[in-house]
Amino acid sequence: MWEHIKQALVESTTRFLTRSANLLPGLAALIVALLISVILGYILAAVVRRLLASMHFDQRLTRWGFPSLAEWSPMKSPTLLVSRAVAASVIFAGFLIGIAAFDAEWTSLFARIVFAYIPNVLGAALVLLVGSIIARFLARSVLIGAVNLNLHYARLLSVGVRWLVVVLAVAMALEQLRIAARIVELAFGILFGGIVFALALAVGLGSKDLVTKSLERDAQKASSEKTEEPFRHV
Amino acid sequence: MQEEPIPQQVQENIEQVNSADLVVGVLSELNQEGLVMMCDALRTLSGSPRIAVLQDDHAADPLVTSPETAEKSASPYVVPWPLLRPDISSTPVVSMSAAYQSVFAAAEKFGAQACCVIASKFETAAAGWACQLAQPLLEEDLDLVVLHYARHKFEGLLNSSVISPLMRCLYGKRIRNPMGPDLGVSRRLFQKMLEIERSARVGGNLQSLVSLAPAALCNNLQVCEVYVGARIYPPTDWMNISSLVAQVLSPIFVDMERNAACWQRMRASVPVPAIGEPVLVSRDVGSVDISRMVESFQLGIRDLQEIWGLVLPPSTLFELRKLSRLPVEQFRMPDELWVRIVYDFALAHRLRTINRDHLLKSMTPLYLAWVASYAHDLETAGAEATEQRLERLFVAFESGKPYLVSRWRWPDRFNP
Repeated sequence: MWEHIKQALVESTTRFLTRSANLLPGLAALIVALLISVILGYILAAVVRRLLASMHFDQRLTRWGFPSLAEWSPMKSPTLLVSRAVAASVIFAGFLIGIAAFDAEWTSLFARIVFAYIPNVLGAALVLLVGSIIARFLARSVLIGAVNLNLHYARLLSVGVRWLVVVLAVAMALEQLRIAARIVELAFGILFGGIVFALALAVGLGSKDLVTKSLERDAQKASSEKTEEPFRHV
Repeated sequence: MQEEPIPQQVQENIEQVNSADLVVGVLSELNQEGLVMMCDALRTLSGSPRIAVLQDDHAADPLVTSPETAEKSASPYVVPWPLLRPDISSTPVVSMSAAYQSVFAAAEKFGAQACCVIASKFETAAAGWACQLAQPLLEEDLDLVVLHYARHKFEGLLNSSVISPLMRCLYGKRIRNPMGPDLGVSRRLFQKMLEIERSARVGGNLQSLVSLAPAALCNNLQVCEVYVGARIYPPTDWMNISSLVAQVLSPIFVDMERNAACWQRMRASVPVPAIGEPVLVSRDVGSVDISRMVESFQLGIRDLQEIWGLVLPPSTLFELRKLSRLPVEQFRMPDELWVRIVYDFALAHRLRTINRDHLLKSMTPLYLAWVASYAHDLETAGAEATEQRLERLFVAFESGKPYLVSRWRWPDRFNP
C-alpha cells in the first residue's frame, strides 16, 4: 500500500518537475524578449522624443488646433506622451512575442488573436485622428464664416459641426474595433440625429429674429428711398 | 495647371500684326464707342508709334480692324485676344493676374517697347488713361506708370488701409495704387515679370497684379504716378467681404515672403515722380452707419479670440478687448494697433500658424473695425483732411517697421 502511495507521489512530482522544466525555456525566452523590447522601446522613445522636440511638436500641435492634448499628457508635453506610447507599444509587442515562445497552444492562440486585432486598433486610431483633424478644421471654417456673416450663434454652429464629426469618427472607430456594433449603430443614430435636431432647432429659433429683421429691412427699403452704401473696398 | 500665356488659336493674329511699339490690353468691358475714343486718344501719342490694342475676344461688341487699314489711318490695330477666361476654380485676383501675364506675353511677342493694361470700369473720362500711361513709358524711359486716382474718402479702403501703406513701408516708395489696376509697364519690366513667372511655375503661382510694383522697386526700376480723375469702384458685396480680404491679402503676404531680403534693407520712404496735378474729390455722403462693422468686430472678439490668440500677442488682444467695450460713438482703433495687427497676420501667414485661408478670413472683423474707426474719423471731413488722415496711417506703418523686421527675423524670440 505504502509502496503504491510512494510511487504515485514520485510520479506526480516527476510530472510537476518535468512540466516546470518544460516551462523554463519559454520563461527565459519571455524574459529575454521583454528585456530586448524594453531596451528597444527605450531607444525608440528617445529617438522619437528628440525628433519631435526638434520639430517643436508641442508648439505645432497647439497651432494645428489640439491644445487640449497637452492637458492630459504627462508633464503637459504631447512629445512625452507620443514617445511613451511608442515605448509601451514596443514593450507590449515584445511581451506578446515572449508569450508565443511558450509554445503552449493557448498562449500562441492568444498572441495570434492579439496580433490580428492590432490592425483594427491602428485603423480605429487613424480614423479618430483624421476625424478630430477634420472636426477641428470644419469647426473653424464654420466659426469664421458665421462670424463674418454676423451670425450671433456662430459658436453654437461651430461646436455642433465639431461634435457631429467627432461622433461620426468615434462610431466609425468603434465599428472598426468591432465593439458592440449594433449598440454603437443605434447609439450613433440617436446621437447624430439628436445633434442635427438640436442644431436645427437652435438655428431655426435663432433665425426667427433674423428673418423678421430681414423682412422688416426689405419693407423699409421698398418704402424709403434707396440709399447708396458709400464704402468701396477694392 | 497653368495655361500657356498665348494659346494656339491666336498665333494667327500675332502673325498678322508682326510688330508693335505699344500694346494696350483692355480687361474691362468696353463698347465700340469707348474703344474708338481710346484709340483716338492713343493716336495723339508723339512719334506715331504702332499700337496693338488687345480686346477680350469674348467682348459683346467687338471692334474689328485689319492691319492694313490701321497702317493707312495710323490708328491702333484692335486684336481680339482671349484675355479673361471665366475660371471658377480661380479667384478674381488670380484670373486678373493671368490676364496681365497674357498681355505681357503678347507685348513680348510683338517686340513692343511698352504695354498698358486698362482694367477699371470704363467711363468717358477714362478714355485718355491708356494714353496717359503710355506717354511716360515711350518718352521718358520709365518702367512702371501707375495712376493716382482722385478718390472719394470711402473708396478703395482695402488699398488705403493695407496695400498702399504696406508697400510704402516695405519698399520705400510712396505709390498710392501699387496694384493699379490700370498700369503702364516698360519692356524691361514685363520681360522681368515673364522671367519671374517662368521660374515661379515650378515653385508656386506668381500674381502679376500684386508682384509688379515690388518687382519694379526691388530691381531699382523707375516708377511714376499720373494724377487722373475718379475711377468707378465696384459696389461692396458684404456677404463675401471675408473672401475678398483673403483673396487680396494672400498674394501680398506671399510676395512679402518672396521679397523679404529686399524689403528688410529699405529704410524711410520717398515720393515717386508724379505727372499732372492732384484731383481732389469731396462728395459729401452725410452720416455713415458704422454700427454693422462695429457689431462684426464685437462678434469677432466674442468668438474668434481663440484664433486671434494664436496670431496676436497678448498686449494686442488686451487692446482689442478694451476697444470692444467702447460704445459706437467713441469707437476708435489707433493706427498703431492696426499696423501691428497687419504685421502679425503677415507673420502668421508666413509661419503658417493656422490654415492660411482661415487666418485671412478671421482678419475681416479687425479690418471692419479699422474701416469703422476711419469712417468715424472722416464722417464730415473734406478731401484735404482725408489725405492728412491717410498720411498719419502711412507714417504709423513706417514707424512700426522695426517691429515687423524683428518679428520676421526672430518670430520666437521677439514676441512682446
